[in-house]
This record gives sequence, C-alpha cells and structure tokens, in this order.
Amino acid sequence: MGSLENLVTQIQGLSGSIEDIAHLHNILRLADESLHSESSALSAVLDQVDPAKHSLGYLYILEAFTSGPVSKEQALTLVPILARFINCCDAQQIRLAHDKFVSVCKRFKDHVLLIESPLRGVSPMRTAVRKLQTTSEHLTTIHPDFLLLCLLSKSYKIGLSVLEDDIFDVDQPRDLFLYCYYGGMICIGQKRFRKALELLHNVVTAPMNVINAIAVEAYKKYILVSLIHYGQFSTSLPKYASSAAQRNLKNFCQPYIELATTYSSGKIAELEAYVLTNREKFDNDKNLGLVKQVVSSMYKHNIQRLTQTYLTLSLQDIANTVQLGSPKEAEMHVLQMIQDGEIFATINQKDGMVRFLEDPEQYKTCQMIEHIDSSIQRIMTLSRKLNAMDEQMSFDPLYLTKVGRERQRFDFDDFDTVPQKFPI
Amino acid sequence: MASSSSGLTFKLHPLVILNISDHYTRVKSQLHPPPSAHGATNGVDPSPSPPADPPRVYGCVIGVQRGRTVEVFNSFELLYDPATHSLDRAFLDKKQELYKKVFPNFYVLGWYSTGSDAEESDMHIHKALMDINESPVYVLLNPSINHAQKDLPVTIYESELHVIDGIPQLIFVHASYTIETVEAERISVDHVAHLKPSDGGTAATQCEIPCENSLLRQVSSLLRRLPAIESGKFQDDFLMEYNDTLLITYLAMLTNCSSTMNELIDKFNTAYDRHSRRGGRTPFV
Repeated sequence: MGSLENLVTQIQGLSGSIEDIAHLHNILRLADESLHSESSALSAVLDQVDPAKHSLGYLYILEAFTSGPVSKEQALTLVPILARFINCCDAQQIRLAHDKFVSVCKRFKDHVLLIESPLRGVSPMRTAVRKLQTTSEHLTTIHPDFLLLCLLSKSYKIGLSVLEDDIFDVDQPRDLFLYCYYGGMICIGQKRFRKALELLHNVVTAPMNVINAIAVEAYKKYILVSLIHYGQFSTSLPKYASSAAQRNLKNFCQPYIELATTYSSGKIAELEAYVLTNREKFDNDKNLGLVKQVVSSMYKHNIQRLTQTYLTLSLQDIANTVQLGSPKEAEMHVLQMIQDGEIFATINQKDGMVRFLEDPEQYKTCQMIEHIDSSIQRIMTLSRKLNAMDEQMSFDPLYLTKVGRERQRFDFDDFDTVPQKFPI
Repeated sequence: MASSSSGLTFKLHPLVILNISDHYTRVKSQLHPPPSAHGATNGVDPSPSPPADPPRVYGCVIGVQRGRTVEVFNSFELLYDPATHSLDRAFLDKKQELYKKVFPNFYVLGWYSTGSDAEESDMHIHKALMDINESPVYVLLNPSINHAQKDLPVTIYESELHVIDGIPQLIFVHASYTIETVEAERISVDHVAHLKPSDGGTAATQCEIPCENSLLRQVSSLLRRLPAIESGKFQDDFLMEYNDTLLITYLAMLTNCSSTMNELIDKFNTAYDRHSRRGGRTPFV
C-alpha cells in the first residue's frame, strides 16, 4: 500500500538523530490506526526495516503485527522474530514508546508459554528488562513477567541476579506485588529464606486499599517461610502495613495460622498430625512442599534451642529431646547444620558427645572491615532517600489537611511543635 | 646596650603586647588609609600608601612590683607631644586615677613605644616618668615583620647609671623577661591571634609565629597518632577496635534511619490510611 511504503521510507529516513526520532514518533503515533488495520501486509514490511537502527519504527509495526489472537504455529514463527528484536533494539528509542514495548514483551511471554518452552524466553526478557529500566532501581512492568518465566523454566539463578537490585521506583503497584511474590518464590526455590521473607513481607505490608489475592497467597507463604527460617511467627503485622491487610488477611489464611500455633508448641507428632488432616488444603494452594519443609525445620530449631541451654550433650540425649528416632539420625542432623553454618559445634564420635561452641567470628579481619564499610555506604544512600521522602511527605496536601483537622485533640504522647488548642 | 644587672625579674603579660601592637596598627592604618577603588586620578594605578616612616606610638605600662619581680599586666595609650618631646602629663594622671579605681594594686611601672631600636629622645620621656616610678621600664616593640626571627620582637629596657667618659649618664640596658599568662588570657590571646587578618604588613608579628607553630603542632600530633607498632598481636587488636568503631557507626546510622522511617510511616498513615490509628475522628476521604 502506498501509505505503508511511505511510512517505511520515513522510518528509514528519520531514525538518525534525536530530533528526527521525536518527529518520527509523532508520525508513528498518528499512523498507528492504519497500521493496525493492515496487519496482514506487515510481515513483508518487517523485513525492510532494520530492528537495530530503526527500533522505534520496527516496534510500532511489530506491535500492530502481533496484535490479535495467535495460534501455536504462528507463535513458533513469531518467537524468534520477537527475541531477535528485543536483543538488538536500541534502548533509547524504545523508551519513547514505553507502553508499546511493554505490550510486545508481554505478548512475547504469552507466545513462549504457548509453545511451552519458557526457557527460550528467559534471556530475551532479561535483556528487555535491562533496556527498559532507566536506572537499576527502577521496577518496570515486565519485571514480573521475567520472573514468571524464570520460575516456570526453573532458571532461578538468573532471576536471583535481578532480585539483588534494590528497588526505589515502581511503575505500577500491581507490578510490585507480582514482582515480590514471584521473587519470594524464586528465593524459596534457592533456599534463600531470608531474602524470600523480605520479599514476601513487602507484598504483605504494601499499601493497599482493599485486600488482593496476591497478598493473600503471599501471606500464606510468608507464614510458612517464617516458620522455616525463624522457627516462630507472630500474627501482628507492623504498623506500616495497611489497615485493610491487618484486618482481613488473617481470615483468609486460617489453616496456616493454626499450623503456626501447633508449631510453637514444639511437638513434632502434633505438627505432623495436623499437616495430615489439612493436607488437601495445603495441596490446593500448592504449598505442600513448603509445609513438609516446615516439619523438617522443626528438628533444626529444637536443636538450636539446645545450644542455648547446654554446653555439651550426648547424641542420645539430643535424639530424645528432639524426638528423633536414633542417635544416628541426630548425628546426621547436627552434621548437616554445622555444614550449613546454622550452629557451631564439634562432634566427638568416640563417646558420642556434641560440644556446642561460640561463634568464632572475631571481627578482626580486613574482609569484615570491607563488609561493614559497604553496609555503611548502603545505609547512607538509604538514609538520604528516606530523608528526601520524609520531606516530600511533609508537603503532601493530603497529609497537611488531615493533620490540620486533628488538632483539636490534645494528645500527650505526640506533643510536636505545631501549636495545639487546649480544651478548656 | 649592656644587659641589666639590677637583678630584677620581669614578667610580661601577652595582653600588653597585644595592646601595643593594636595601638600601632590602628594608628598606622588611620594615617595611611588603604587606597579606594576609584581613587585613581588620571588612570594611573593607585599606588599603595607611600611607605613613610612608620609612626611611633606611645603609652604607659602598669602592673605590680613585688620584691624583685616586676609583673607587667596592662597598658594604656598616651599622646606624644612632639614639640616638647614629652608625653601628655595631664592625660596620664587622669588615666592613672581611673585605672587605680579598677585595679587598686597596679602602679605605673613604665612606658612603651614602637620602633626598631631605642633612641636618645626616649631618654627624655624616661626621665620624665622617673618621678612616678624611680626606675621605670621601657617596653619596645618592633613592628617590622621579620620572618626569620623566631622570638617576639619585644625588648624591655631598664635605665642604669653608668659612667661614660667621666660623666654619669643614664643609659638603657636590656633586661630579660618571661612571658606570663593566666589561663583566660591565653585563650583570648589565642582567639585574637587567629582572628586578626593579615593585610599586608600591618599584622602584628606575633600572629604569624604562633600560627605556624600551631600548624606544626597539629601535624606532629597527627603523625604521632599513626600506628607505630607492626606486630601481629597489634594488628589483631587494632583491627578489632577499628571494627568496633565501624559497627558503632553502623548502629548509629541504623537508629537514625529507623527514626526517620518511623516518622515517615506515621505521616503516610495519617495521610493515606482510611482509618487513622490514633482514634482521631477524621471523616472518610
């Protein structure tokens, strides 16, 4: 079609400098409708446009091309095209058409899932994430999709590398929920329970006006991971959790809370019985694996509690206290824990005694200095950001109006510099 | 000038030195005001004040004499009448009375002046003062800055009767002195010494020398703080202590962050949460 060829020539001509690209962007926006209506002719056009140099134009055409339902065979042909585009596109240009890029990536993910090989999508998605981010602290809408692909293809390590970044900017709240939820699951898969707890905690305490399903699922996992990692769980949420969460989450997760209370009693038999009775519920939530880990973690926590009471203990006694079958099992558990670095002990095999030791870390080494120094640097950046946010909050009109209205009440425990009216 | 043989010990307070230098600086800057920006008359660069003979200032020193120790505490300024080569006597008496009221113990011990060396005309003034104090002291401050000189450019002269060419004459002789300070004096002098701007050559000389010394002292104290031992045990302890300090800093920063975070959350909850936690009856938004 004439107009299409025109467009192609324009794309090829105007992809040089920044002003040209802005001009091209306007043209493309206007031509978007016509592109969508002619989706059949677009495949030929795609070959004429180079994805690396003319990324913006290619993006628009590609987006129009891939709109609409797609069958499995079509998906097979589309996936390599999309992957190639993502890998070689120009980051500057695509950031101009943010939404289009996001929708293209989402469709890519759908196609990859359709052909049931999520592994093919992991690497291109990672490149896409890095290209769309303005800084490494920015959470884009395609982050959760990337993590989903990682989860489905079990490539946890790549997911972890993206999770290491601290996030300060978020595009949309839903992204944060999904990102932290998937991230938590990846960390559980890698047995990094502390980081999983952090991420799930974020989901549960994120600001929300009404409770959402992601938070409920996250809360269930949160309870389980908290039991595995800390050996205890408290049902009170911190005060920065939204009031919607605080009131309603517990109602949806009743079986898990009871699991936690049974856990705190310290008796393995009871715990196992409880798990058996509620097996179906856990299975429906796909949390059965986690629950089994909870049960096995009980032994670990009991042994850890022993280190605080005894200096030396025989393997037989350990087995009895922790309700393990035999001293051999006890030895296995203790050995495993020493290897994981969870306790410090020595086993004397001759008389079957275990001697519990102190943490040998003397904080004397240069590595420790570097470690602490880097932590201090991190916390300084954090502190600066917090102060900036605090200031911003103080100017927020919503906050100021509410504070103004509350001034009638004279609270003794929040005596601040704002003058208050004394009730006579 | 021979050195004194009277056996008196002289103690000079830094306040006197400061007063003299202050007096001199004031007079000199009043006499030669700094050239203003639009002072050039015919486009020629305004030359700096013509280096005329530096003016001599005069004044009186007062203090206490106990036995063989003469302690010079304070000083005040006097007008010199070049016509009669003498100091304004009436003024001196009035000032002396005033000072007597505040410091009843202080007597006029002598007089001071500025210059590089004692001159013959000074003897007149000296003799004139001899009716107040039978053996006055003459404190001479040399205002020219000599960076090579490490000591204070202050000399104290006494008068002695020497027989020269068969004629008994009064001549000036050097007297050794020590600087004596009270703690309060030291602090204020130190303060003033650091505050005084050095504009060309009018800075009192004692500013420069203590400044340099204090810098050197700081450098040497810093060097002394560096670890001097290199043994293994020292490394261990040193690193442990260093780590402790770092940990404390870290803890302090954590506390700081937590408190900011707490405030931020309170504000956030007040602004955005529908049901405020503190029981305030705010209407729904």
